[in-house]
Amino acid sequence: MAVFILRRLVSAILVMFSISILVFLIFFATPGVDPAARIAGRSATPQVLAQVKHEFGLDRPLPIRYGLMMDHLFIKQDLASYVNVGDKVIPQIEAAAPVTLSLVLGAAVIWLVVGVAGGVIAAANRGKFIDPLIMFLGIAAISVPAYWLGQVVNLITQSKLHSSIFSWVPPSGYVALSSNPGEWALHLLFPWLTLAALYAGIYARVLRAELVNALNEDYVRTARAKGLSERRILLRHALRCSLISIVSLFGLDFGSLIGGAALLTEVVFGLPGVGQLTYTALQNLDLPVIMGTVMYGAFFVVLANAVVDVAYGFLDPRVRLA
Amino acid sequence: MNRISAWRRLRVTVASLSVVLGAVAIAVPSSASSSSGPSFTYQPSHAGGTLKLLASTAGGTLDPQVNYTLQYWQLYQATYDGLLAFRKVGGAASFDVVPDLATAMPTITNGGKTYTFTLRKGVKFSNGQTVTVKDVQASLQRLFKVSNPNAGTWYNQIVGATACLAKPATCTLAGGVVVNPATNKVVINLTSPDPEFVDQLAVPFGSILPASAPAKDAGTTPIPGTGAYAFSSYNPNRQLTLVRNKYFKVWSAAAQPQGYPNEIDMIFGNTVESEVTQVENGQANWVFDPLPSDRLSELSTKYASQLHVNPLTAVWYLPMNTNLAPFNNYMAREALNYAIDKNAAVRLFGGSKLAQPVCTILPPGFPGHVNYCDYNKGMGSTYNGPDLAKAKALVKKSGTAGMSVAIVVTNDSVNEAVGQYVQSVLNSIGYKATLKPLSANIQFNYIQNTKNKVQISLSQWYQDYPAASDFLKVLLSCQGFHPGSDNSINIAGYCNKAIDAKMAKAETLSISDPNGANKIWGQIDQQIMGTAAPWVPLFTPKQIDFVSSKTGNYQFSRQFYMYVDQLWVK
Amino acid sequence: MAGLVVLMFVVAICLLAPVYAHSVAHVNPFSSNLQGTTMINGKRVQVLQSNTQGLGFGVTPIGPTWNLQHYFLGADNQGRDVFARLLYGGRNSLLIGSASALLCCLVAAILGIAAGYFGGPIDWVLSRIFDIVWAFPIYLLAISLSVVLLTTGLNVGPLHVGPGSLLLPIFIIAAVFVPYVARPLRGIVLSLRQREFIQAAVGSGASDLRILWKEILPNVAPSIIVFFPLMVAFDMLTESALSFLSIGVQPPAASWGTIINDGLGLLYTRPWVALAPGIMIVITAVSLNILGDGARDAFDPKAKLRGSI
Repeated sequence: MAVFILRRLVSAILVMFSISILVFLIFFATPGVDPAARIAGRSATPQVLAQVKHEFGLDRPLPIRYGLMMDHLFIKQDLASYVNVGDKVIPQIEAAAPVTLSLVLGAAVIWLVVGVAGGVIAAANRGKFIDPLIMFLGIAAISVPAYWLGQVVNLITQSKLHSSIFSWVPPSGYVALSSNPGEWALHLLFPWLTLAALYAGIYARVLRAELVNALNEDYVRTARAKGLSERRILLRHALRCSLISIVSLFGLDFGSLIGGAALLTEVVFGLPGVGQLTYTALQNLDLPVIMGTVMYGAFFVVLANAVVDVAYGFLDPRVRLA
Repeated sequence: MNRISAWRRLRVTVASLSVVLGAVAIAVPSSASSSSGPSFTYQPSHAGGTLKLLASTAGGTLDPQVNYTLQYWQLYQATYDGLLAFRKVGGAASFDVVPDLATAMPTITNGGKTYTFTLRKGVKFSNGQTVTVKDVQASLQRLFKVSNPNAGTWYNQIVGATACLAKPATCTLAGGVVVNPATNKVVINLTSPDPEFVDQLAVPFGSILPASAPAKDAGTTPIPGTGAYAFSSYNPNRQLTLVRNKYFKVWSAAAQPQGYPNEIDMIFGNTVESEVTQVENGQANWVFDPLPSDRLSELSTKYASQLHVNPLTAVWYLPMNTNLAPFNNYMAREALNYAIDKNAAVRLFGGSKLAQPVCTILPPGFPGHVNYCDYNKGMGSTYNGPDLAKAKALVKKSGTAGMSVAIVVTNDSVNEAVGQYVQSVLNSIGYKATLKPLSANIQFNYIQNTKNKVQISLSQWYQDYPAASDFLKVLLSCQGFHPGSDNSINIAGYCNKAIDAKMAKAETLSISDPNGANKIWGQIDQQIMGTAAPWVPLFTPKQIDFVSSKTGNYQFSRQFYMYVDQLWVK
Repeated sequence: MAGLVVLMFVVAICLLAPVYAHSVAHVNPFSSNLQGTTMINGKRVQVLQSNTQGLGFGVTPIGPTWNLQHYFLGADNQGRDVFARLLYGGRNSLLIGSASALLCCLVAAILGIAAGYFGGPIDWVLSRIFDIVWAFPIYLLAISLSVVLLTTGLNVGPLHVGPGSLLLPIFIIAAVFVPYVARPLRGIVLSLRQREFIQAAVGSGASDLRILWKEILPNVAPSIIVFFPLMVAFDMLTESALSFLSIGVQPPAASWGTIINDGLGLLYTRPWVALAPGIMIVITAVSLNILGDGARDAFDPKAKLRGSI
């Protein structure tokens, strides 16, 4: 087991290293993104431009620049933005992480409850009207672009119906949990719902599929033969088994969302999380911040992958052998 | 030089007589050594409260000697002072330069090359230190140490600047800036006379900072200033906060008036749509970003009293690369000037109430502007509409028909919409057009570099200060053309030695005869468009500000736009 | 069957786009029409209407007329007929969505099966590649690629890819989702590998190729078929995000993604411009999934009551 975990760790570091190199190369291979010209301003002379280049170390060979950036990011931990000069990357991520965590945690609760309930209800009523209805809603939720849904939600709650039924909706933005828990939840309510819609749709469909498969397995037949009620079979036996795939799916989704994959939801609702940080940095082509957030996001994705794999390794020794 | 300031003051005071302002004390224009003239009258009953401003993203570094964005230049008005400043009043008088930390306008001797200032006594920075002549000297040196964007184009005329540009770290400006702590005098020596030097000292780059300010871009760390407010904290992902400078006492209301709110917050990270909604709902006071076009009709109908519209001295234009096919052919450039319907572009910007079509390089109302329109439907000096038939004929005659043309625009909605329209027009007059929308951060430098072989692009120019040379010399002289560089602001690559000579003549003349000089600038404008047409000028936009219903005392500067600190929240 | 009928209907009306634009609505959906007019109820009105109330700011395109002959869904901010563009856009969206889903499933099947079947170093290398692709932010890749494309164009050997090429969004989208499909397939093959019938085939000395073709593929095919329609839906959504970043469909051409993006700028005044393509994506995705379920049932009749994800 220890060897397995060690191997997983080595490959995780390898993956992060490859991603950092890719990000670095892409940024510097792209024409027109030379940050020096933008830092220097709109009518800088070539002389001033050269000076700015030198000051930011942009005139050194690529491998050295890569090394310096990694040194500043991981060892000295003082990597700073090119655009908002002096704004250090790590504190920015530290400040943004709780916002993203609040968004993702709340949404996760909603999508787990709705998704699991939807999947169970659909499986229990398969063949009846409600099953295809839930499955239809699921696929519809999957098919709606998140940023589009967010804009429509804002349009309705902030503008069109704000003077009537949605007058209690606060302006978009974020209030820290520590400063006012009520306002925190109120500000995050619609972002939670918007983000949860897609995942609730996926989870309901996955769970239904797993449940229906499980209901055809031998142990369920045995349970039926013992005369257990259909409800008890579904909830006690089939669900318990099917939840394994839901848990592993959840691990992967949660990891990537914590890492900033909720980018568009954060942008649309004005939440200053890791996703919005990445988005702004991309808009500005601010490499240090891009590098920082990409590394942060990749860390969680890789970690989630590894945790799910290790968990599988515990559950199923055959996977470990492979 | 003295005369030019006097002339400006006179012109401006006459204009201000016709402007109705809430609180203006109209003074008789006097000698250049006084700071009299219109200024705001303070109404203490409105003081207090917190002003909440919204901007979708932060404006970069907070260092006033580095930042070159309107977003922060607007805030610097309340936080920093130079030796000189633009007059803080509404209307055209805001183009006027007045003494700020200097007791009077400078005495100019030595044939316009020596400027002598006397520093005001007893002014304190927000950290409690008193402003001394050493701070003035250090601030001017610091322009070079922090690689100020215009160090090589504006401030390179100070004696000793060449050495500073070559080796910024050891910059002393020896012989260029001489100070005397005993008499509080500051003497600045230039290598040649420059009519615009006072303007260049009055913009935020000329801010006087403590001599202890870091010798590099201070970034997100606020530097103490002398204004009515001081930056107290800055997080580019969340918020920028200004609080009252407790050491501030009014020395000249025309240069640095007292402000009203106790605190000013600029909050970052919302979408523009949600910013507008927050101001509509009274949850914030003002939106920095351009208002989204689909909200304009709603706003102008339901919130008319909260909108403020002011003309800007700016131009939206299509620079055509005069060194690259098809636009290296004058007839092709002429053709596009005839083909583009400027009124259609105006509609994409928000309609005829928000922009005015232009045919000239210098915007209407700007020094030197002459009304003419060479490429027009029929005759007349005002724009009537496009002449597609003439355009098609010119394209055919030029032999450029069928060529591929790519138009490079920024990828925000209005710019891209105008780009799509230009693409459609290019297709209709016989070219094969494609659109290249790039991120705003890339596009401006990309279209300048000749290596990128940009044929035509959409760009904007907003004045730095009111002088014809800030358009014509900056954007269309050989001096602004640097092939192969990302900073080659003459995007059209138009370089004409005869025109350059004429510009030099106008600049020299403007020291002794500003009116005569502006006449020449007007001729240059007409000559460039009439004989070369390196641009298609589209329109001059208006600034539209949306404030909440509880926000009072909107005041607008032609130079730096809305006075943030003059707004009432009480 | 309902799924197939709806899908066929969507495909058919999209194919008929030129007929509609030229013969019914008489519009050119690819040309700006900022100063144009149209007839509504016998009155000639401007396609882009200047606001006349209040301070008179703003220009708004005409809204839906619900009349197939004039601006059925209204106009966009260039004064172009939204309905005609919706039909033309559907062709690009369906093409990109199905081509990239096909490519993605094909590549994922090959790599996922190879990783699961051969195991060892092959599995390790492929799994790490999946990890890298999955952890790599697609937006970053898209933005930098769009800059490269718009500025210099991409040269891959003798092939020159310009910004207008649809190959690129197809390749990018396919690549991005390969791990999503390949990982579960690898897992399925991994457990199949332990089953008696495979072990028996290996024991009997059958070649790898034969086992893969005869034993493994038929067992993973239903999963691939279930994935395919879902991937088409995902890919159409990704296409809309990429269009926003200027990769793929270039103006004045349209896709549902580009129309949604045009429509977001008009959401407060003309919501139908953004709503209509969104609804089209949902309809198409749902019918594809119903179709996918049907196809899987045909493969595996016993799974009649099983679900797909």
